[in-house]
Amino acid sequence: MTTQAPVRAPHVTPATPAPSVATPPATSPARRIHDPASDPRSVPRVDAVSKLLGVTRYTDDFVVPGAWHGSTVRATEPHARLLGIERDPDFDWSRVVVLTAADVPGENVIHLMKDDQPVLAADEICHIGEPVALVAAPTLALAHAARDHIRLRTEPLPAVTDILAADHVFVGYTIARGDLEAGFAEADLVIEGTYRVGHQEHIYIETQGMIAVPRSDGGVTVHGSMQCPYYAQAAMKRALGLDAEHCVVVQEETGGAFGGKEEYPSGLAIHAAMLALAVGRPVRLIYDRHEDISVSTKRHPAVVTHRTGVTRDGRLIAQDIDVTFDAGAYATLSSVVLSRGTLHAGGPYACPNVRIRSRAVQTHTPPTGAFRGFGAPQTEFAAEMQVNRIAETLGVSPAELRARWAYQVGDQTPTQQVLHESVSARETLAAALKASDFEGRRIAFAAARTVDRAVGGARTAPGIGVALGWHGAGFTGGGETYLASIAAVELTADGRVCALSDQTEMGQGMRTVFAQIVSDRLGIPFEDVDVVRQDTSVVPNSGPTVASRTTMVVGGLLALAADRLRAAVEERSPGPFAATYADVARTHGAIRFDEQFTGYPNITWDDATYVGDAYPAFSWAAATVEVEVDLDTGEVAVRHVVSADDCGTVINPLMAAGQVEGGSLQAVGYATIEEMKLKDGRHLNDRLSKYLIPTSLDAPKITAVLVENPFSSAPHGAKGLGELPMDVVAPAVVAAIHDATGVWIHELPATPERILAALDAAGRDAQEARS
Amino acid sequence: MTTTAPTRATHFMVNGDPVEIAGPGGLRLLDALRIDLGLTGTKEGCGEGECGACTVLVDGTPVVSCLVPVGQVEGRDVRTVEGLAEDGRLDPIQAAFVDSGGVQCGICTPGILMSARAFLDSGTEPTDAAIREVIAGNLCRCTGYMKIIDAIANAATTAPRDVRGGLPQVPRELPGPAIRPNVEPGSDVRVGPGFVRPTTLAEAYALLAEGSWRPIAGGTDIMVELAGDAAATDTSLLDLTALEELREIRVDGDRLVIGATATYTDLRRSSLVAAHLPALAEMSGAFGATQLQNMATLGGNVVNASPAGDSLPLILATEAVMVAGGPSGERAIPAAAFFTGYRTTALEPGELLLRIEFPLDARRQLRYRKIGTRRALALAKVALAVTWRQEDGSAAWHDVRVAVGTVTDVPIRAPSAEAVLEGAVAGADVADRAAAAVLLDIHPRDGLRSTAAYRRSATSRVLRRMVLDAMV
Repeated sequence: MTTQAPVRAPHVTPATPAPSVATPPATSPARRIHDPASDPRSVPRVDAVSKLLGVTRYTDDFVVPGAWHGSTVRATEPHARLLGIERDPDFDWSRVVVLTAADVPGENVIHLMKDDQPVLAADEICHIGEPVALVAAPTLALAHAARDHIRLRTEPLPAVTDILAADHVFVGYTIARGDLEAGFAEADLVIEGTYRVGHQEHIYIETQGMIAVPRSDGGVTVHGSMQCPYYAQAAMKRALGLDAEHCVVVQEETGGAFGGKEEYPSGLAIHAAMLALAVGRPVRLIYDRHEDISVSTKRHPAVVTHRTGVTRDGRLIAQDIDVTFDAGAYATLSSVVLSRGTLHAGGPYACPNVRIRSRAVQTHTPPTGAFRGFGAPQTEFAAEMQVNRIAETLGVSPAELRARWAYQVGDQTPTQQVLHESVSARETLAAALKASDFEGRRIAFAAARTVDRAVGGARTAPGIGVALGWHGAGFTGGGETYLASIAAVELTADGRVCALSDQTEMGQGMRTVFAQIVSDRLGIPFEDVDVVRQDTSVVPNSGPTVASRTTMVVGGLLALAADRLRAAVEERSPGPFAATYADVARTHGAIRFDEQFTGYPNITWDDATYVGDAYPAFSWAAATVEVEVDLDTGEVAVRHVVSADDCGTVINPLMAAGQVEGGSLQAVGYATIEEMKLKDGRHLNDRLSKYLIPTSLDAPKITAVLVENPFSSAPHGAKGLGELPMDVVAPAVVAAIHDATGVWIHELPATPERILAALDAAGRDAQEARS
Repeated sequence: MTTTAPTRATHFMVNGDPVEIAGPGGLRLLDALRIDLGLTGTKEGCGEGECGACTVLVDGTPVVSCLVPVGQVEGRDVRTVEGLAEDGRLDPIQAAFVDSGGVQCGICTPGILMSARAFLDSGTEPTDAAIREVIAGNLCRCTGYMKIIDAIANAATTAPRDVRGGLPQVPRELPGPAIRPNVEPGSDVRVGPGFVRPTTLAEAYALLAEGSWRPIAGGTDIMVELAGDAAATDTSLLDLTALEELREIRVDGDRLVIGATATYTDLRRSSLVAAHLPALAEMSGAFGATQLQNMATLGGNVVNASPAGDSLPLILATEAVMVAGGPSGERAIPAAAFFTGYRTTALEPGELLLRIEFPLDARRQLRYRKIGTRRALALAKVALAVTWRQEDGSAAWHDVRVAVGTVTDVPIRAPSAEAVLEGAVAGADVADRAAAAVLLDIHPRDGLRSTAAYRRSATSRVLRRMVLDAMV
């Protein structure tokens, strides 16, 4: 393991960093943390007490005197021409405001990337649930009644709702490395497989909600549940035709997001703001759960096909991968979700000859969007399934094959990125295998199954599976440089230390981690750092809170800004910062340093050819999963997940473990029970009684092993973590089901329906073979 | 005769303080807390009793306040998250959550704290299994539950803790009418389902005779239905929970008598049920989760008559008798005649289900199995009950009854499977034959929760297993 000395971005004012618990010695090898709770860095999260007291206010908790209630008139057809919007003449419209596409003050577009999604459908309806009109009324009951008295006159158009029937491609990528034909020519074995994954719904427990307040200067302020205040502001500016000063976005406490509040709240913000400006009063637009599930984004469904060439002695020499994502009706974030899915499609394995082709297609279904993992869980599921089937074909342990193929320092990825440092594929795999006693359990389970069969059939069968994954940290390719995020640390005139960024707290722990990073650089208690709330009129644009970038990228900017502040204060007054800063503030007034991201060193990327450094660094994870499958019913009890995750330097081990555990359970749900069924473009599981996520009784024991392999270009050594566990647990679950039952489930979720059908088919095959 | 008037205001205690909520008693307790009292610590995550974010304690018992008509808490003691910390100190459960890292986004936290507080107060040993069961009705999407479980396990040994700077004042502002969802447009009048809580059966019958009142007990189906119904304010609820005689569980001769408003928790805790019909307690434990078991009633499940109703196969297999009452007296309806079609029963308008009578026979065995999508809070995909009688010294099964839920509009008996098992001695061969025979009896359809193929295969396999298990 080589670890380079920390390299700082060139624009930094040199400062002597304080002895730091968050920056390990440059020569330290990757460290494992098995007991996060007892680590001194595991300070209690700063917002825990107010949340536990029930006094933390989320959007729907705010009392806004005089506020009206908004409601949304939605399309009921997957694809249609919109001919008219008719109001029931018998309804009393005198106390109701109704807005349509014609009332959008600026451009009728929810600005994001391709700008193809209208604020309100004007001529064409492209999915069920698409917003067509908005109503506001003094009471929620009246708003709902008004909504129900608006009828859409439409003419149906042909609808495509099946991913495999879709012919309109929003975006596609090709990655090529080496000579694919030569690779396959050299291969002794060619293994093919097609894998599918379905929609996954976020089920943040707080639904989408926004409150818009019109201002006397003609502007509007929206308060709401979201990940990305500046996304919402940019979208509002375009749709409302207002400048930044007149579109202020304030993130309120957010009750879970997981990607579901990345781009989707932008539309709500515009809707609420339009209504508030039209009514001249504050307007609440809070979705109930049914509406939220029906229309909000989901994880992209995907079909992934692999053709893999290996030699008889088990070398990986050719990968030909084809990826199709279902984008739904509009492009939204699909170009970048697909990009990440494509870049991770090969899995964390060195292969000299690779071709990956991908596309995101349009269907007339509600748009899919960001969800923890952002395209990678789909393609990594397929990659890991393929590795398992190859291991089975070769007759080697799936752990052994992974250890053989996994990336090491110096290897090249399909985009010809040379992995120079912080590569922990083998280290995380070894950590997970050791913590789970994988090979020992595998043998024990096989023996138990054999004995059970011999004594006349068991009711359940145990199994264990493993998976390995990688996750590019931060934005893809040149994304971070393009964002040019700014974060600031300020010593205010009254002597407070403030961290300013638009990174949002959504449960992941940003507030605590940023306070730790800044306080660590300044040598003051972390309670003394004030993480300023996310209000676009106050905080700089440090980019969206997505892509596992918050701790690594923005935390890094804050560390550098804190270093500059420390130097500036210590220059004015000799002695350690902690002892002098209050006096310096009183004497000199406020001191603030804004730190802008200009790129990690030695990163090159070509967006046209998809060649170069796709990510500044990768995080690595391995998971083992133990299951018990009920052979009568196909029910899967996931008993134990061990997830070993390298996210670089860990800032708060207890909270990092919490990320691993939570992500692992979301992946268990994705793998086993979370199924969104569609009919004619409509989500059928549109209630919490129909779309089921794991309860505490379904949740396994989860053991998080944190592996620290610092990233030298980040001042604090951190890489991304939030999405990482989502990539590895689902394929490990399916591998464990196979270990238990002998059947491969090629489609997520591996429901009892699919497992029992496979067992019945296997039983029939066995019967035919006997007769 | 004294007549109970419909509720215009409800009086109860919240965190030790007396409160009055104006308006009809059919308003949700959740709205009374959040909107009338400004106690927004209690959250709404789904409005259907599925997520548990709105869990509060009523007389110490966890319930989901989104499904409680406020009229039901008249005179009772409600405790919310705002009432946990006292005298400037965190409750030990709150302190334990801080230490264990059990809080992430925090939206599920208040509900989980209330479930945990009630659990700790019950004195049950906080084993991993017991904790998982008690919070199974509280969904958390952030944590994976591990650190929440740790916190509850550690709470007993965690001391109360001072809050830095003291406890914040809990806001008690009363918002203007515009924020209230249940206000008559253009006025200040609260609207919501009407609510009346009779204290005698005679009163209940008299009100029912007016035709406009809809009986409610646990509310776990009706309140969900009303939440999604814009015309809900036209509904008037006739609350049966003040009629103590309807909640009685007793043995009367050779019958176990369960009052219609006995809750699943009542059934789980009843020593009579445990002694005479343990499968009924087992069924109750597999229903919903803690909060819903505390609220939902056996009578409600029977009257609701959903083909997926958890209890229905048991009712059918045991040949239980439904006793209905009305102004002109009582009548007994056998199970076989009770379920008349999809969500319809043999109850006449004006009648109430009073009790369910299960025939007892010491020589009779009863087995029950439910298959859901997950281990709590799941409707059945497959539900089966099997019962038989064995004479002393004989292994042969007699009077075999097999009842199956979820396979058609009504729960059904499985005559082919019963014929195979009648007079047979449980064994591998008999189990295989019963498994094959039951396929002649059921014709399930593809549905949202499962497929026809799965329901056939799983019903067959599970029946086989139940017969095999009876051998030991």
